[in-house]
Amino acid sequence: MENYITKYCIINPTEVIVDGKIEFNNSANEPFNEFMKSIYKQYDIKYPKYFKMDNLCKIAFIASEIILKDNEQIKTVDPNRVGVILQNSHSTIDTDTNYVDTIKDKSNYFPSPAIFVYTLPNVMIGEICIRNKFQGENTCFITKEFDPDFISEHVNNLLNSEKIDVCLAGWADYVDNKYSAILFLVEKIKENQKDNISFKPENITKIIK
Amino acid sequence: MNSIYTITDNIITSLGFTTEANFNTLKEGSSGIAQTFDPKITTVPMYTSLIDSEMLKNEFTQYGDGFDYTRLEQMMILSISKALKQTDIDTKSHDTIFLISTTKGNIDLLENRRQNFNHERVYLWSLANEVSKFFKTPNKPIIISNACISGVSAIITAAHLLQTGKYKNAIVCGGDIISEFTPSGFQSFKAISANPCKPFDVSRDGITLGEGVGTLILSTDSNLVNDKNPVIFRGGANSNDANHISGPSRTGDGLYFAIRNALAEAEKTNKNIDYISAHGTATQYNDEMEAKAIALAGLENVPVNSLKGYWGHTLGAAGIIECIAGVHSIKENCLIKSLGFSELGVTVPIKIVDNFYQGEIRNFIKTASGFGGCNAAVYFSELNAD
Repeated sequence: MENYITKYCIINPTEVIVDGKIEFNNSANEPFNEFMKSIYKQYDIKYPKYFKMDNLCKIAFIASEIILKDNEQIKTVDPNRVGVILQNSHSTIDTDTNYVDTIKDKSNYFPSPAIFVYTLPNVMIGEICIRNKFQGENTCFITKEFDPDFISEHVNNLLNSEKIDVCLAGWADYVDNKYSAILFLVEKIKENQKDNISFKPENITKIIK
Repeated sequence: MNSIYTITDNIITSLGFTTEANFNTLKEGSSGIAQTFDPKITTVPMYTSLIDSEMLKNEFTQYGDGFDYTRLEQMMILSISKALKQTDIDTKSHDTIFLISTTKGNIDLLENRRQNFNHERVYLWSLANEVSKFFKTPNKPIIISNACISGVSAIITAAHLLQTGKYKNAIVCGGDIISEFTPSGFQSFKAISANPCKPFDVSRDGITLGEGVGTLILSTDSNLVNDKNPVIFRGGANSNDANHISGPSRTGDGLYFAIRNALAEAEKTNKNIDYISAHGTATQYNDEMEAKAIALAGLENVPVNSLKGYWGHTLGAAGIIECIAGVHSIKENCLIKSLGFSELGVTVPIKIVDNFYQGEIRNFIKTASGFGGCNAAVYFSELNAD
């Protein structure tokens, strides 16, 4: 059984690519937070909670917003049948480091729940689920590099064994101002299938080249 | 479809270094939770359950040089080694896959970098590589970091991978250490109990953290089964509350979906469940949410316990060691008393196991919930339970 990529989005420090087209350039060479804010404005995202998120959640969230923009159809799917499966390399090392700074010095000890909550990598999945009311299968896998073989195998299994109907699947990572997001909307059924690419490792590899 | 057998296991916590030592202590009703004043863990006295460092050091020397491995790596290597001693599974075979679950991995390296470890060692894939390299496994290990449901998620992922036939054996190992990182975070949330935690009790006031590691070996190879009536994985599912990143759902709908989907995979209705091993962290909101989810699933008359009163909340290990305890509840036909419980403190009437019980147990559901709004449920039963 084949499942199809109905939309995809890649974010890296230089550009935003949607379905193979460069939609937005970081021509001003903005640092992470400014670049994300520019994308946020460009895509007319309105979600105040975004500004509370840590960097890992921000990039994963922005990629999900771009993919789901104007997608009315997904709102008709049973929330319990929409999955979110993400991979990540450096877990929450950026926020972990910030958090450790708050507990290192005993004379200046101020551990904060608002920081601590972002020290788990699956929280980025939680943010996407809250925003879109997705309640299906969700797991965060850690791999050194994005692993098209594993993610396609896992997501296709979930779809083919009828556990979910739609899946937001991919990768988000942030470490030391190096960052990337690769996100796919993968679906079982599609009206105009000829335009869509099946969710296979070789196709994923071609897309991310 | 092939049956997924539980082959063997190991638990390492404050209660001991074998499943037997741990399960016997659960049967006795004794806790491993004690007060700690260790400044490397907490700035104020705190109840926690810790693995004995001297014992870990002594036991590990048979396997390797403690200088080469972090505390968590030592715990994992020891736990997997002990589990493997009881079976003939070849870790060097392409048929065997490793799954590692942890929330924070080698986080102690970030707090206090030790010179002899490369900076990469704090990354979870580096930890998993060290562990799998020790066992010379040719397959890349799968790492799951799904907050407090990590262990249950790893078991579900392992079982579903085995169902595809790609691998025959899965070695599922989960663990977390207690350093300053996690206690200080939960303290900042005011979520740590002033006394050993009291799941589902009216006077519960928060969690007790625990250090632990567990290994559960699953296989589709019936030749590896020693038991006449082995316990098998029947179904499992993850879900999300889509409600709040740090607070559980007020309705229990997310966890209910996970239970319902796990039972649907097992092709079971909710009529014949013998036991629920709950997450039962002893926070006000978690236990209330779980009781509601259990009721939504129509399971309010099924005996429920939480094992957190014995070994605390062991994070990445919790789902694994509590599933192992469930498997042994079936094997020994008994239910462990839910330690710390005396009077029901949730608004939905559920049946908490308030005394050790001996009687036929053929199956159980294990549930878990965590930050990020995630939930998971698995269902295990005897092969000949139907």
